[in-house]
Amino acid sequence: MLVDAFLELLNLWVLVAALVGIVSGIIIGAIPGLGPTMAIALLIPVTFSMQPIPAIILLLGVYQGAIFGGSISAVLLNVPGTPSSAATAIDGFAMARRGEGGRALRFALYASVVGNIFSCLVLMALAEPLARFALDFGPAEMAMLMLFALLVIVLFGGGSKLDALIMVLVGACAGIVGLDPISGTPRFTFGSFAFENGFQLIPVLIGLFAMSDVLLQAFDREPLVGDVEVPPLKSSAVRFIELWRMRMTLFLSSLIGTFVGILPGIGSTVPAFMSYSLARSRSADPDAFGRGAPEGVAAPEAANNAVTGGALVPTLALGIPGDAVTAVILGAFMLHGLAPGPFLFRDHGLEVYAIFEALLLSSIPTVLLGLMFFRVAIHVTRIQPRHLLPAITILAIFGAFSVNNSLFDVWVMLGAGVLGFLFRRAGFPLPPLLIGLILGAPFEQSLRQALLTSGGGYGIFVGSPITIGLVALTVLSLAISLFFSLRKPRL
Amino acid sequence: MSTNGHGGGVARPGFRTLTAGLLLAAAAWGLYSLDSQIQVFGFGASGPDARSFPRVALSLLAAVVALRLVLSLRAEDFPLGNPVRLGRVLAVTASSAVALWAMPQVGFFFGAAGAGIVVALMLGERRPLLLVLPLIVAAVVTFGGRHGLSIPLP
Repeated sequence: MLVDAFLELLNLWVLVAALVGIVSGIIIGAIPGLGPTMAIALLIPVTFSMQPIPAIILLLGVYQGAIFGGSISAVLLNVPGTPSSAATAIDGFAMARRGEGGRALRFALYASVVGNIFSCLVLMALAEPLARFALDFGPAEMAMLMLFALLVIVLFGGGSKLDALIMVLVGACAGIVGLDPISGTPRFTFGSFAFENGFQLIPVLIGLFAMSDVLLQAFDREPLVGDVEVPPLKSSAVRFIELWRMRMTLFLSSLIGTFVGILPGIGSTVPAFMSYSLARSRSADPDAFGRGAPEGVAAPEAANNAVTGGALVPTLALGIPGDAVTAVILGAFMLHGLAPGPFLFRDHGLEVYAIFEALLLSSIPTVLLGLMFFRVAIHVTRIQPRHLLPAITILAIFGAFSVNNSLFDVWVMLGAGVLGFLFRRAGFPLPPLLIGLILGAPFEQSLRQALLTSGGGYGIFVGSPITIGLVALTVLSLAISLFFSLRKPRL
Repeated sequence: MSTNGHGGGVARPGFRTLTAGLLLAAAAWGLYSLDSQIQVFGFGASGPDARSFPRVALSLLAAVVALRLVLSLRAEDFPLGNPVRLGRVLAVTASSAVALWAMPQVGFFFGAAGAGIVVALMLGERRPLLLVLPLIVAAVVTFGGRHGLSIPLP
């Protein structure tokens, strides 16, 4: 399988897709405010006419490139291109101010690659066994698994639990629109045929992450980057021995990133700060952190890149996205006929392993292109919103239309954009909404199928070792969350 | 979080209260119209029907949003700010809506370019040369979409 998958990669279009994806990602990621989620959502339509393997590799290349691109503005301007780069900015900008910006970016790049390789290996080791295990899941097991995933997002996603719960429920309620998954009855379709397919994921994603940005900028009208002086970039290099000395930091950060990434809804910002704190606490010179310690750059970068592979484990094996970006990637897989879930490896094993191997191998072009393009990317951080966002509006309209060649989807995108603007201005988190939208309909379907099987008896949800285990995990999660809430009260 | 609380009194409503209020109204309307919007045909099967999950989800949503509203009464809110700022958001939304409405008649290029130009104007762009930028982007996207990706744009 691995060899056959590798042979699938020996194709010029795969190489072109990877290179275009990584370069686009570095440039887009370097622009503050344009995260990988928006970039991937807007680029999905470009991949419609492509084969599944190069299409997904292009989008994953964008993701990898954007995570590194985010560290460019974080290090040089103290303006994180992505939220997960905020931890990198602490020591990265301090290094840049003393003329070591180039070194900081090299540390960030190499640490990113270590995190990516580590998480890819974990992904390759865990995803298929987990999917094979999930093949035994019936509707009751799937319902309990999805309930657990939704609960984890609410309890451990960070921020207010009440707000996260509201957003999960908004997503689940939005998923109700369309035909009933069991009886086929129209629900909240207002007699319109267009509503019967429900709200498609890609237009909603584009609205929430791209159009809402346009509206936010129209409201704020602030430059993406103020008048910050870019520190001079001196020629510099990072020696292998310097990376070897921080091997434990890189390993532990990658471990944290990967395993936090597996948990749904937490994203890459939390593991980046966790790794930063761990690196500081383990350091012989903790006072150097915050004043330009290379380990303070490497630890969060290894962690936030490792999240990719980790988050793809439940996304691909179970169809449960780990964060907003993997929710977008899940949408891309579905559009290309590779429906994530337990059957993915059985039905499309070759394609999936080819994508895994490409993700692993793309570390090489990421390093080369990262070193080549970070000086170019500095310039794009100066792009003003008024130059960029009109183009994003046009791409958002085009992207939403092209999913089904339907103007209805563009209206959905616009509506999602307005709602996204309101939610973001009001401080409500968007990832739980997205995951509620994705999991709401299958959760209802599994729940009702299980109850139909049991003749309406709820005992089916504790009727097998797997469901008992999932119920135990759910109760344990609630108990842990309650324990920490009581120790540290927070609204 | 931006503040406009009043030192222990009831805070002035802002984005959080507005959004939560809209969500509560939507959930209440959903519950009210549930029976008319979802028809159920009984086939003798036991267990939940097509209305059960929506009813539970909407009821839960209404309950937690109501709780958020109550908690928000004395908490800091995100201020709505200057009406001009909201006006710009409304202008972008309205121009995009008009562009979509007119798109079947005027085509994708003119609709998308028009929306792009309004966005540029609302973001403060005044140089005519740079206002041409959305026209160029719309032309490239229209050409690429039609001929490169074979998408039947309006």
